[in-house]
Parts: sequence; structure tokens; C-alpha cells
Amino acid sequence: MLGYVWGVSAPLICTLTIWPLQNWLGPASILMTYLLGVFLVASCYGRGASMVASLISAPVFAFYFARPIFSFAIQDLENIISLVVMMVVANVTGNLLEKSRLQAELARQREILASALYRLSRDLSDAKDQDAVACIAVEHIRDEFEVESVLLIADGENRLKTPASLSLPISLADIDLTRAQHIFENRKVKKENSNLYCPLEGSLAWQGILIIHANMPFPWQTAEQNAFLDTFCHLIGQTLERLQLATKAREATIQAETEALRNALLSSISHDLRTPLTRIIGAASTLIENDAGFSTLERLDLNHIVLDEAQRMSELTGKLLDMARLSSGEIILHRDWNALEEIVGSALNRLDKHLKDRPVRTILPDSLPLLWIDAVLIEQVLVNLIENAVKYSPAGNPIDICGKTEDGYCRLAVVDYGPGIAKGKEIQIFDKFYQGDPESDQSGVGLGLALCKAIIEAHGGVIYASNRVGKGAEFVIKLPLHEPPQVAEPETTGIMS
Amino acid sequence: MSEGHLILIIEDDLQTRRFLTSSLKHRGWRTVEADCGKTGLAMLKSENPELVILDLGLPDMDGITVTRRLRQLSDLPILILSARSQEQNKIMALDAGADDYLTKPFGGGELNARLQALLRRVSRSFVSMEIFETGELKVDLTRRKVFLSNNEVHITPIEYRLLTILIREAGLVVTHRQLLQEVWGAEHIGDQHYLRIYMGQLRHKLETNPARPRYLLTEVGVGYRLSLS
Repeated sequence: MLGYVWGVSAPLICTLTIWPLQNWLGPASILMTYLLGVFLVASCYGRGASMVASLISAPVFAFYFARPIFSFAIQDLENIISLVVMMVVANVTGNLLEKSRLQAELARQREILASALYRLSRDLSDAKDQDAVACIAVEHIRDEFEVESVLLIADGENRLKTPASLSLPISLADIDLTRAQHIFENRKVKKENSNLYCPLEGSLAWQGILIIHANMPFPWQTAEQNAFLDTFCHLIGQTLERLQLATKAREATIQAETEALRNALLSSISHDLRTPLTRIIGAASTLIENDAGFSTLERLDLNHIVLDEAQRMSELTGKLLDMARLSSGEIILHRDWNALEEIVGSALNRLDKHLKDRPVRTILPDSLPLLWIDAVLIEQVLVNLIENAVKYSPAGNPIDICGKTEDGYCRLAVVDYGPGIAKGKEIQIFDKFYQGDPESDQSGVGLGLALCKAIIEAHGGVIYASNRVGKGAEFVIKLPLHEPPQVAEPETTGIMS
Repeated sequence: MSEGHLILIIEDDLQTRRFLTSSLKHRGWRTVEADCGKTGLAMLKSENPELVILDLGLPDMDGITVTRRLRQLSDLPILILSARSQEQNKIMALDAGADDYLTKPFGGGELNARLQALLRRVSRSFVSMEIFETGELKVDLTRRKVFLSNNEVHITPIEYRLLTILIREAGLVVTHRQLLQEVWGAEHIGDQHYLRIYMGQLRHKLETNPARPRYLLTEVGVGYRLSLS
């Protein structure tokens, strides 16, 4: 509209400008001025406006400047020719300008689309999982087309997964999933009611469906825009596929690692179970075969082997069971208020046989508060740590158990006076199936410390090991303190009567 | 030794029953065997045993139900055999009326000690005794006084009540629930911290090293046991 206003006013402005100068200017110069006006209008507002300008310029020139003045008649042949030339030039330049203007406009639109695609692909390449892709796609479609949409991702069996209803815009909260599934299986873009369904194709399989909600008419009508939407969908489909393949690859790696772990476990367990079994079978069969030939003492000796080795196996299977229980799922804690002193006492009591030749020093201040813990599991941790201390320090050396409170934590240390932990292995020893020295007779399955770590971490605590400055290893567990409940009726501390 | 006490063994595993029977016979007990809960309950009536050894993992009934039925029929001592994976069941069975437990695997010696403790409780109740003695610990139950190496130890009424319950069940486990109910009443059954605090005080008064007690043993997750050395 503004273009046509300028188309009318440009010739008038030219007339007003030239009028005072007409005595000094020839008709050619005057026509050139009008031509300039038409040209400027054409360059700014396109062909329509420039046509108006040139059509008005001609009669105005004839009326005001071509003799006879104040009449539309034109006397001089020269003026007629100049006017015709001006009209032709104005028309041609108008056309040329219009064309280049359209091309510029097209280029600008293409640039917008290209940069939109660029932004989308950049964001998609950052997406960590398929849900993130869904969020990014919906956001970009909102930005580019100003419509709401939802992305349904297909699972391995080509079934669309139901999105979390909270993440949906209201207009799409009640999409018919069965319908979407049907269209997804047909693999064709479909407009239905006010929704546009675009199935997304990856290079190997169909990945999902994009459902766009817009009131008719859809904002994209041109082939250009349709192609743009196509590219958009293609890009999303490819990304979904890439992520799906990446997940598959990752799962395959994890499975391979689990397999390796399982093999390590199997070989370790079979070694650890076979050793005592060999001794039991050996001792028992010897007893049966030569029953009469043995003295009472010899018989007792062999029987002791059977008992000791069976007990070793019992401990080992117990640990395996614990580990299986703990790793089969989340650790379920039966927490209650517990006194560390009791748990330490019970653990030491359980290990009485192993501790016969060792002084155990317990330093537990009376001020230690009650802990909100699963006593059975924490006792297991202590048993494992003390057992380790016994295993890895020479017989007769003392073991210290020290507890104290330390900025919001209860810190309990089990200290031995052995050779300590091999340098640099302080963290590794908590790994599953880690074994200090695979050839050593002391090897367990390497589950004890991994078990401890799992239990302590389930309590929100930490466990770590270090070597002490003097000699020996120190295993520390830190359990968070909780506000203990009050005892409702504190007893008078008086002496009983 | 035919006049030995008769024990009913309810256990489904044949080999375990064989081991139990031979080990018990050797120590002078008499035994009858049942391989499931139903037979066990029937034999309780027909055989009239003095003690029951009950496995928690029976094929036909769960151990807690069997314990309850046994308790309805009689108040004879029940010793439970449990596997490590049956922690929770074990406590439930104890609270349902079982008297003590043994965790599998166990040795013949341990089993015998538990059975002796159970019988002792039946035959001569520690409560009716005038003096209870174990190691250096001496409790005068008529004068309500506690001595350690013949020196009197002053303890509070609640501590004394805890101690007498443990003496009554000496050698046997007493669950948290039982102690809380008897000392503080049913409404305090969930307040385990009461027990921790008073048992802690008692340990500090009666034990040389409370972190390695000789008398007041903790059965983590289950309860306490007064040890008979």
C-alpha cells in the first residue's frame, strides 16, 4: 500500500522540485528526473508501484512542462520520443529490479530456513537420549512454525511409546494413540482434524511420529515450506536412529563387560570352592578307606580338616549369597537406631575363633550417638573389615577399632599392623573381584570390600582405605549422623532401693 | 540313655535330619522326626516330646505358622533352624513364640548348648532362684542386688528389669520386641532406641570392655542374649 502512495507522490515531488527550475532545464533533464523518481520507487516497492509512478509521470510531464503548457497535448516530436523512451526504460528497470528483489527475498527466506535447520541439527547433535530429542524437536517446531507438536518415539517392536502426559501441551493432551499408531504403520504424512501426522524415517527403520497441532489452514502451504518440514522430520528421524543405535552399542558393551565379569567370578569361585572341596573329599575318603589303620589322633586330624574346610566354604557361600542379594537390586535397608558399640561387639563375637591370638583394641567413646543404620548389614561390613585385617597382617599383631564423631559423621576405623595396601591400589581394592595377589593362598573371591562399599554407600556414607604413616592399613567408614529421638521418660539416675 | 529327653525334629531335608538324629543320640537325647509341618503338629500330640527343633523352610507350611500352631497346642521350648536368607522370618518366628534359633550351618556342640539352655529354663526357672551366677557376675534375686567380682554394682530399676528378663531366659535370645514389651509396654515396641540406651548403660556397668562383652551379648538385628559361660 505504502508503495502505491509513493508511486503517486514521487511524480508530484518531482514536479514540485523541477517547477521553479523549468526555465533553465531542457525537457530531457526534466524527464530524467521523473525517470529517477520511477527508478527509486521501483527499487523500493517493486513493479506495481513503479508502474503507477511512470503512468502518472507521463501526463504530469505533458501537462506542466511539454508545450503547450497546462494542456495534455504535446507539440514537439522530441518530447513525445523522450516520453516514450522514459516509459519504456521505467518499465524495463522496474521489471529488472522486481526480479532481483524477489531473488533477494527468496535468498533471505532460504537463509532463514537454512539457519533454522542448522540450529536444529546443532541442538539435536547435543541430545543425549531420545527423550531429549523429543523436547528439542517440539521446541524448534514451536519456534519456527509457531505451532505446538508432540513427538512419539517407537520402541523396538514398532509400538509408539506413550509420552509423559505432563510434558504435553494442552491441545495435544488427548491425542488418539491408536490413531497415531495406525498412521505410523502406514508410513504416510496425513492431515486429520487439526493435526498433521508426520511419520519419521531413519535410514534403517521408522523411528516415530511427529504430530503437529495447528488450526486450519496450516502455516506451510508452499512446496518450499513442505520441503522444509520434510527436512526437519528427516533430521529428527536420523537423530533418533543414531541415538537408538548408540544405545544398542552401549548395551552390547555393557553386556560384554558383564560377561567378562561373570567369567572372572566363575573362575574365581570355582577355584575358591574347589580348594576346600578337594581337601574335604581327600580327608573324608581317606577316613573311609583306611578306617582301621588310623590312630585316634590321626582320625581327629583328618576330621578337623573336613570341618575347617567346610566352614571356609560356608563363609564363602555366605558372602556370595550376600553379594547376589545386594547386586540383584537396590539394597533394602532395615534401619533403626543402633549403638555402634553393640555392632562392634557382635562382630568381634562372631569372629572370636579368628581373633584368638590377637589383641583387639577398641576405642569407642561413650559419647558416640546412636546411628540410624541397618545393623545387620553394618555388622557384615565390620566382620569383613576385621577379617581382612586378620588375613593381611601377621598373626599376633594387634587390630585397632576406633570410633569418633567428625563433622556430621560417625567415623569408624579398622586398623591393622601388617604390610599395608599395595601402592596405588587404595581405590581398586573396592572393585568387585579384585584380588591382591592372584597366586596367594589368602585369595577370597574379592567380594568382601565391594560388598562393604555397596552397603556403606546405600547408607549415604563413604568407605576408603589408606596406609598409615607407621605401618599397616587403615579402613575407614563414615556414616552420616541423624538427630536421635529423645527418650520420653528419662529414668531417675537414683540407685535402686 | 533311654530316659533322655525326647526331641521332635521337624525338618524336610533327610541328610540334615540324619545328622541331627545321630548327633543328638550320641549326646543322650531321644528323637522323633517329621518331614513337614503337618506331620510335625500331629506328632506333637502323639509323641508328647519335651522340645521341638523346627526348620523354617518347610515345604508345606511356613515356619511362623508352624510356630503359632505349636504354641497354641503347648508351651514346650522351640528351637528354630534358619538359613541366612531368612533373617526376617527368624525374628517373626521368635516373636511368634519360638524360644531360640540357630543359623545354618551349625555344629553339634552349638546345638547341644542351645538345647541345654532351653531345658534349663523349663526345669528350674532362673526366676525362682535366689542367686544367679555366671562368670564374675552375681545377681541376688531376692535382695535385688547385682555384684561383679563380689563388689556391688548400682543399677537403676529399668536396668534391673532388663537384666532379670535376660536372666529368666539365660543362654537364650530375647528379641527386642519382647524386651520392649515387658519393660516399657506394648506402646513402645517400636522404640528400639530405649533398649540401645539402657542396654548400653547396663553393659558399661557390668562389662570390663563394653565393646567386647562377656555377659550381655548382642544378636544384631534380633535381640540380646545373656551368656552362660
